[in-house]
Amino acid sequence: MALIVLADSAGDVFLTRGMKQVGEIATLNPRALLAIGKKTLLNRSFLAGIFFMAVTFFSFLTVLSLADLSLVFPAKSMVYVASPLGAKWLLKETISSERWVGIVLVCLGVALVSIP
Amino acid sequence: MNDRGIARDRRPENRKGSTAARNSLKKTIAVLIPAVFAQAAGNVFLSMKMKEIGSAHFLALLGRALESPALWIGTALLIVSFILFAAALSWADLSLVVPAVSIEVVVNVIFADYFLQEVISLTRWMGVVLISAGIILVLRSERQKAARATEEILRSEDR
Repeated sequence: MALIVLADSAGDVFLTRGMKQVGEIATLNPRALLAIGKKTLLNRSFLAGIFFMAVTFFSFLTVLSLADLSLVFPAKSMVYVASPLGAKWLLKETISSERWVGIVLVCLGVALVSIP
Repeated sequence: MNDRGIARDRRPENRKGSTAARNSLKKTIAVLIPAVFAQAAGNVFLSMKMKEIGSAHFLALLGRALESPALWIGTALLIVSFILFAAALSWADLSLVVPAVSIEVVVNVIFADYFLQEVISLTRWMGVVLISAGIILVLRSERQKAARATEEILRSEDR
């Protein structure tokens, strides 16, 4: 379960780092978008993000066969706190206290929704 | 230059700075809304079809799944949603995007209620309310952050 939350937020963090390296997408020109897509698929951080998402998916399937659904789904909501923590520590994003309150509310809400 | 002259000089800069920040938030929201709806619609397609197929052996299930257009549409929608999510991350903070896309949980509940006729418990609706409140706070924090950034630019111009 901890692995899922860790892998999921690691996926988010790497994906963000990759996309920030690719640079802001500020065009709708199809040819330019294609070039951005190619650059993205060659970006190591982006690929690491995809890898962690795959790890998340398969460990999620494994956990589903081991544990009770009513435990797994609410626990997954921890990602909503773990990803911003990763963003703060690894991506050096500044997160105001108001935003933290919002993030915690979202996390609690997702946990409530996922109780079967 | 007198004081009023400086004040007049500053105003257009002020407007430009905050407009840029506000436009960035608008762009983020404009990209994330279709991402969320594509994700939710994708999930409806997938779960509609999977329930129809029912529980079977994994491989048999996979074989039948590949023949079904609903599953292909569902998967395509999920891929579109992922691309839009990644695009938003190319300019926006992760700590903004992650809570913002949690609206997908709300949309999923509403879609499940409406299209799949699932019974939604009171606890779930309470969760929906908490998520919505959380998202409002996060969006507000982004607007304040933009305002603060503008202020900082002005202050550095004063020096």
